[in-house]
Amino acid sequence: MEGEDGFDPTLLKKKKKKKTTFDLDAALGLDDAAKKEDLKDEGAADPAAAELEDNLDLESFGKKKKKKKKPFNLDELEGALPDGSDDVNNAGAAEDPEEEEINLDMDFSMAKKKKKSKKKDLDELFADKVEDDKSEDKENVEDNSSTWAGSDRDYTYDELLKRVFEIILDKNPDMAAGRKPKFVMRPPQVLRVGTKKTSFANFMDIAKTLHRLPKHLLDFLLAELGTSGSMDGNQQLIIKGRFQPKQIENVLRRYIKEYVTCHTCRSPETILQKDTRLFFLQCESCGSRCSVASIKSGFQAVTGKRAAIRAKTT
Amino acid sequence: MSIQNLNTRDPFADAIKGNDDDIQDGLVHIRIQQRNGRKTLTTVQGLSAEYDLKKIVRSCKKEFACNGTVIEHPEYGEVLQLQGDQRENICQWLTKVGLAKPDQLKVHGF
Repeated sequence: MEGEDGFDPTLLKKKKKKKTTFDLDAALGLDDAAKKEDLKDEGAADPAAAELEDNLDLESFGKKKKKKKKPFNLDELEGALPDGSDDVNNAGAAEDPEEEEINLDMDFSMAKKKKKSKKKDLDELFADKVEDDKSEDKENVEDNSSTWAGSDRDYTYDELLKRVFEIILDKNPDMAAGRKPKFVMRPPQVLRVGTKKTSFANFMDIAKTLHRLPKHLLDFLLAELGTSGSMDGNQQLIIKGRFQPKQIENVLRRYIKEYVTCHTCRSPETILQKDTRLFFLQCESCGSRCSVASIKSGFQAVTGKRAAIRAKTT
Repeated sequence: MSIQNLNTRDPFADAIKGNDDDIQDGLVHIRIQQRNGRKTLTTVQGLSAEYDLKKIVRSCKKEFACNGTVIEHPEYGEVLQLQGDQRENICQWLTKVGLAKPDQLKVHGF
């Protein structure tokens, strides 16, 4: 198996290089000879693929090529599928070098890649995905390698970005609905009310997207900002003091880090439970459970008029 | 001649010795509070009671060119209070002087 996996990308690479030279030749009118060469190179294994490539000659590279590659890979994979789990493992092993390769080229895609590979591991662990899915995964992986390995020209950023997203969507159909939007939060709408107060208009929405009790978030915000505030009649938060949206965003970010994302796996799918006066963060995806710091406002200096305070207390 | 095995030995001796060089334990909370207008206050809570806070505040005032006091609080002990947003200054200063380690500082506020 190892040999085959190692062989596959090189084969593709060869093909592609052929094609680039081939294209030039075609332009020069050496079409026939080159075609023969090409066919020979690919061998009798898949003449269909060869034909496809011939069709490609006059067309642009990149996407088209990719699409054509896919069916070819699928055929091969279907042939290899009966081998079962071994295959998948090998695909995983084959993925690593590719990742490094990509790393050299572009960091951004690397991050995406990592996520993907992790996902795949999970799939394998839980084994609740159908074999077909696995084959698709593998197909994608190999597809990657092929397009990456055998390129003579530089890929543009847009192309790569598009590709990455396509692959991600391909592999995780539930991604669009599930994981992504949680990271993407709407920015807080912070408006000034008069000169001394600030209104946080979509406070309830944010509390809802974070799956936290508004009260908890409110406590944290007020403790962190060192002010007082309360909920308005139409569900917005009025905070005493002047605050910019950016400042509120900072505080929210800290809240998310402490009380929303799992401390172990950083997944936002967590539940905050109260247990004997302590708050515990229970992760839905990795199952870890840890206590989080209680919200304390700490020392508050006297900022108002002392005379007024004295008048109030007496 | 004494039998070495029967000597009493404090098992926590090393731990105590290790703690000797940093008196500060627990977090130092650095907060900011808004006053009227664009004025602010910075409070530093949780510095170890073994430090002389008055001396600290004196040098802080000089360093940051701001006023400040030490406030005695029944629950939180002595608290430094400095005028203006001195959060970054105080963080740098505390680590530079060696009163607290960077991971013992906790900055609150926006």
